Amino acid sequence: MRKSLLAIGFILILVLAGCSVAKQDSEASNDGTSTKDRTLVVDLTNEPANMDPGLNYNFDSFAVYRNIFDNLLSRDPASGEIKPWIAESWEQESETVWNFTIREDVTFTNGEALSAEDVVYSIERILDPTYKSPQAANFNIISSAEADGNIVKITTEQPSPTLLTTLVNLSIVPKDYVTEVGNDAFNASPIGSGAYKFDSWSKGTSIKLSANADYWNGAPDIAAVEFRFVANTASRVADLQSGKAHIITGITADDVPTIEDDAKLQVFSTPTERIGFIAFNMIDDTPTKDPLVNKAIAYAINYDSLIDNLLNGYGTPVTQVLTPLSFGYDRSLLGYSYDPEKAKELLAEAGYADGVTLELATSQNFDQRVVQAIQGDLAKVGITVKINLNDHPTFLQKVQDPERKWGSLRYGIWSCSCMDADGTIFPLFRTGTIWSAYTNPEYDALVDAARATTDPVKRLSLYSDALKILEDEVPGIGLYQVHALYGAVKELAWQPDAQENFFIRDMSWAN
Amino acid sequence: MLYVVQRIAQALISLLGVATLIFFILRLTGDPVLLMVPQDSTAEEIAVMREALGLDQPLGLQYVEYLGQIFTGDLGRSYIQNAPVSDLIMDRLPYTIDLAMAAFILTVLIGIPIGMLAALYKGTWVERVCMPIILIGQSMPAFWTGILLIMLVSVQLKWLPSSGVDGLESLILPAITLASLSIATVARMTRSSILEQLGQDYVRTARSKGASTMRILFRHLLRNSSIPIITVLGLEFANLLGGSVITETIFAWPGLGQLTIQSISARDFPVIQAVVLLGASFYIIVNLLTDLIYGWVDPRIKLRRDAS
Repeated sequence: MRKSLLAIGFILILVLAGCSVAKQDSEASNDGTSTKDRTLVVDLTNEPANMDPGLNYNFDSFAVYRNIFDNLLSRDPASGEIKPWIAESWEQESETVWNFTIREDVTFTNGEALSAEDVVYSIERILDPTYKSPQAANFNIISSAEADGNIVKITTEQPSPTLLTTLVNLSIVPKDYVTEVGNDAFNASPIGSGAYKFDSWSKGTSIKLSANADYWNGAPDIAAVEFRFVANTASRVADLQSGKAHIITGITADDVPTIEDDAKLQVFSTPTERIGFIAFNMIDDTPTKDPLVNKAIAYAINYDSLIDNLLNGYGTPVTQVLTPLSFGYDRSLLGYSYDPEKAKELLAEAGYADGVTLELATSQNFDQRVVQAIQGDLAKVGITVKINLNDHPTFLQKVQDPERKWGSLRYGIWSCSCMDADGTIFPLFRTGTIWSAYTNPEYDALVDAARATTDPVKRLSLYSDALKILEDEVPGIGLYQVHALYGAVKELAWQPDAQENFFIRDMSWAN
Repeated sequence: MLYVVQRIAQALISLLGVATLIFFILRLTGDPVLLMVPQDSTAEEIAVMREALGLDQPLGLQYVEYLGQIFTGDLGRSYIQNAPVSDLIMDRLPYTIDLAMAAFILTVLIGIPIGMLAALYKGTWVERVCMPIILIGQSMPAFWTGILLIMLVSVQLKWLPSSGVDGLESLILPAITLASLSIATVARMTRSSILEQLGQDYVRTARSKGASTMRILFRHLLRNSSIPIITVLGLEFANLLGGSVITETIFAWPGLGQLTIQSISARDFPVIQAVVLLGASFYIIVNLLTDLIYGWVDPRIKLRRDAS
């Protein structure tokens, strides 16, 4: 008898011997200290991969590190227009040469001045292949960057209309510090010139920042921030309801009523440049090779019901595979609207009067209820949709395989963080890109030309022609403009912008 | 002694098998490079990134390099987090151990007594109270239990934090959620192995001698029914140590389960490989230890094995 109890006891002792519960500082709650000292607690969906701006490419990373670093340029939150930031002005010397004048009153939080050299270094390290920056693809239009006094001269390989939009996303890192301590130490203890300073990072749990009192653009209102990583949406909402977090990201329209029903909470929302779309496979031998079928599908989808019922109104109808926020959006295009009778006629004309079965590829990253709604709409006009759902890596591998054997149509959300048609309709429909399942030399020539000139008037007319081709041949349908949604406590004041920036310096305590 | 050496050799072969399987299966399921690059990258830019990560090499060569790394104790570098995998795991392991220990203690302290009661008082109201508890634990998935606990305890009552790691109070809800399934498993196993023993002659003899129920339980029953219970406890413990993806995700608990799910969704091969190997090692070590405990609890087992 004793031995068997001992056996259990033995395991228990082993267990207890190793047991150590890490005690962490408990974060600021809603009561207690005065609002000025209160720590803003943010629930993000995922942990940023690291704090080095050159090595990141996702919202959760941007949301944190863009508070620590300054970007070269900024955008006006309301108009989306590109504005000076670290570069106080710029001029275009020729089609391929740009000169940026760097502000001289900016210092990093280690006290060193931010110079043109730092800007050049920030670009060069992204372009260095040994650094393995995932952003290299965005910057490799730049053939050289040189510093001369407080001027940075950037030369592009060919005229680049999107250079400025790329530089809006360029965070400036301190050259001397990074080269001195190395990339790993820089990532562990980043120093920037931003409105907030990096304090600490408990891996898997949270990152803490505190206000940079000497910020060149004025000290921010909120004294300290804690970013927590909470992958489960329901848990983030519960954090907000229980007072654990002050603002949460990554909520869906379904969470809005829960938040709005709580008198202490509010929802922030704004239209973004993200577009929900369908793309058709017009390369592989499928029925969607025929524009008639695609047009029928475009008429068969009940866009208003999708937006009103599934997205609770947090979406805006579009007439093309582009949002009105993007440069190039053509307001004269009418697009397609819900007309199931017309859809049936077109299907019959295409030779599918008795119906047709199509395969739809999609990924778990996208809202599957939208896919099911589309499936339901198409069923009403005689199109049977077989949904092929994969996790995102598998979806990418399938859709980007040059064989283009992924089915007939796919649903997804697209954003280029550049607010320019070049970032959306080029990669989606230009022959030979990793995504495009469409080919049309006339279209290719238009989007190529629009990419190779910096003249906005010329570009607008080129995109207008390109979008007309897309409307006629229907390699894709724009479903809706996505709205960004955030849940927050009522004490927080903030105006989110279309670029989905998450600058804590723009937020303040309302009371 | 020979037995122990044999078992260790077996364990190493199993680990090699696991390492090989995970290596090849991962490479069949997607390409991390496609997830890392901006979505408007060209095929050439993707190729450059693939080369930088060494993923353009022939699979056989990658495999040999990987095995070489494992034997020198190098787990490689994360593609995404750009840090040594061993560091990433060491950041997470303490949290997983805390949670596993807490859940295991609950499992032992609640699961075994419930199982005993249900067996001893079979057919009475005690069993009718215990069995539904077991059934609920068994049939409620963690994502449901977890969210219900959060809604009730954190949002309504505001007694405990809804997520994160702020000391002991943050451990309670995830531990209960994680333990609820193990409790049910252990209770069921305890109940059935005690019931099995209850019908034996020695119990009838003890009863006829006038021994009390408690005396029979502690003196005879527990010992004789301990082997299956220890087996189940061992497996549950190994399970808990491997990290629990769902519970950790719901409570934002920064353990291995969360690291696993993050790495899988990014196809961060080196991290997934290391976490899977670690999980397999836990299983193998716990199994080895359970076997050794068998021999100690029941000397007949050891004799039999030594003889073979």
